[in-house]
Amino acid sequence: MKLASNEFMQASSAALLEEDKAQRRSLIGQFLPLARDAAASAYGDFDGLRAHLKRVRRHTMAHLSHYLEQFEEAAVQHGNQVHFVADAEQLNSKVLSICQAHSARRVAKGKSMVTEETGLNELLLKAGLDVLETDLGEYIIQQAGETPSHIVGPALHKSLAEIRQLFLDKHTLGDRDLETVSEVVEEARGVLREKFLAADVGIIGANALIAEHGTSMLVTNEGNGDLCANLPPVLIVCTTFERVLPRAEDAMALQRLLVRSATGQPQTCYTSFYTGPRREDDVDGPLETHIILLDNRRSDILASDYSEMLDCIRCGACLNHCPIYIGVGGHAYGWVYPGPMGSVLTPLLTSLEQAHHLPNACTSCGRCAEVCPANIPLPDLLRDLRQDESVQQLKPARWRNGLRLHAWLLRHPGLYRNLTGWTMSVLGLLGKRRGAFRRLPFAGGWTGQRDFPAPEGGGTFMRQYAARRRRGGKRG
Amino acid sequence: MAESVRAELFARLREQETSVAPEQIARALAALGHAQPARATHTDLHTAFLANVLANKGTVELARDRGAAVQAIGRYLYQRFRTHKLVAGNDPRLAAMPWRDGGVLPRFGAAENGDSAALSYARLGVAETGAIVTYTGRANPGRNNLLPEDHLVLINREDVVSTLEDAWARIRHDTAASGWPRGIQFIAGPSSTADVEAQLVMGAHGPRRWHVILVGDTPAEVLAQASGGVGATS
Ligand code: SF4
Repeated sequence: MKLASNEFMQASSAALLEEDKAQRRSLIGQFLPLARDAAASAYGDFDGLRAHLKRVRRHTMAHLSHYLEQFEEAAVQHGNQVHFVADAEQLNSKVLSICQAHSARRVAKGKSMVTEETGLNELLLKAGLDVLETDLGEYIIQQAGETPSHIVGPALHKSLAEIRQLFLDKHTLGDRDLETVSEVVEEARGVLREKFLAADVGIIGANALIAEHGTSMLVTNEGNGDLCANLPPVLIVCTTFERVLPRAEDAMALQRLLVRSATGQPQTCYTSFYTGPRREDDVDGPLETHIILLDNRRSDILASDYSEMLDCIRCGACLNHCPIYIGVGGHAYGWVYPGPMGSVLTPLLTSLEQAHHLPNACTSCGRCAEVCPANIPLPDLLRDLRQDESVQQLKPARWRNGLRLHAWLLRHPGLYRNLTGWTMSVLGLLGKRRGAFRRLPFAGGWTGQRDFPAPEGGGTFMRQYAARRRRGGKRG
Repeated sequence: MAESVRAELFARLREQETSVAPEQIARALAALGHAQPARATHTDLHTAFLANVLANKGTVELARDRGAAVQAIGRYLYQRFRTHKLVAGNDPRLAAMPWRDGGVLPRFGAAENGDSAALSYARLGVAETGAIVTYTGRANPGRNNLLPEDHLVLINREDVVSTLEDAWARIRHDTAASGWPRGIQFIAGPSSTADVEAQLVMGAHGPRRWHVILVGDTPAEVLAQASGGVGATS
């Protein structure tokens, strides 16, 4: 996918002005956290579960070569072909060459953020293949020519009316109402069922790889990934090498965290473990299976101070709890991964230079770290990235000078207090009549969206505090 | 290409790791133990299982024995589809059932597009999540769980286990003799989606309905309890 994170500032300002979309997002930001909280508390000791998975991950990462080798060996023994690829281009061309080796024309894809990351569809389409996303949300945005706005619900930004119009335009099915959500889902079911049956190659992702059995876990509600894994004669699993976990039980711990954090369900409809091609007396299933393990800078991340980011299980909880994500939406982030996890991952997977705005898209409220099932200290990682940004001098000179000035001022508390006190009095005086400002010099970013409240009398906190101490010294 | 990428990756990983004997890694892993399961909704195993199946938007029914199961299936098929037709895998347990008595006409093999109902004999049920587990193979081709309009599942009382960890212990035991199957599927509900307007709709790509029949001597109160004391649902 094309990287546009450099335009975060403009894109987020524009997003704030789309009122109906902003309203949809704020609903997501209310509903999903409630669902997550209810599921986490119904579970029991959810924090204990988080801590357990963290310990398992630390152990796995400390011995990753061991577990990766074990996975590979078992997977090959079960008849899989395992491929290691270094970057997006290698993954894409590997998939293409497998498709070409089978003279495939039609590809059915389950949801896979990894192939979004590598831009696989674009290459396959260019090579003349018919590539279809089968997750309903992914299908909708593919038809609309858009990109996912959320890692779990890729089309949550689209309204029923928009989807209805899209289907009326794209599906030549004659007159129909298509007025309810059920009708829309039903139509997609019919259209996609045909595609599943006709597909030559199925492509899916993996939520975890289990070293012990050489198997991969796939978690879905729709069952579309399972159709991709069971119907076409060739199956390709596209994932990354650090998804590996030692035992099936560890994948279960992950799954328990994932579903509750993502949608608030205690369990998804389908949790499947695929382990190679059709067995000797099987009557269905793929004849050939490939597992492609992508690196794409993950081995760099593993060796860096940001290695904990690799524990991310892609649940989306940090997005749903992030005031910035809920405010500006996923598209503003300009790449595959939005929200707090994306603000860490994008600079690491692309470059800080191209994505240095993202770590600044943070209020340091800490909600993401509070809910992250993988216990990733997201605000700390974002702060460290801002530090890197500063060291690499990626901010415009105006910002850097501004910060320098600010730092200097903070080191002179007397001057700082006088200056803020004076500014407040002036603003208070000027804004007395309306009680707020519609426009302020140097603060257009703020006043563009909302009024700036005029200070009410009494002066700054420090001034009031000092006055109070003088008055009732004993109480203070 | 792939060979050198692989070699390079492993070299990088090993560079950062302190080399430890595999036995030592295994001991460290064992010492981590397993996670705690979700808090049980009911103390009785079968009540918990059925309650979770219902929570997963499945429907449930009790059948004392295989004869009663056939009757239940016959009724279900007639009510839903006005048919007696059913597709089922080549599971010896299914082949041995008294189909004629319930007026059911099973076709044994893999489901096709357009089949209204498929029947699976589950290997396991998991009380913790209300899931049933099937292994792909002749006894239950993977597509039988996915293609039909309705998915019917038989599960023996004694095959219901408490937690996901217990389920894997059983899977390991089962597959030690028969080999690891191509696919192991935990199914917990009809296929569903909330991708449009975050509104839950059944029958996204797979079955629209999921009907679980618990086979064995289960008191009717168990089902009543599981459905919140309201009485039996089916
Ligand atoms: S960073 Fe944590 S909360 Fe965010 S998607 Fe990853 S696992 Fe979920």
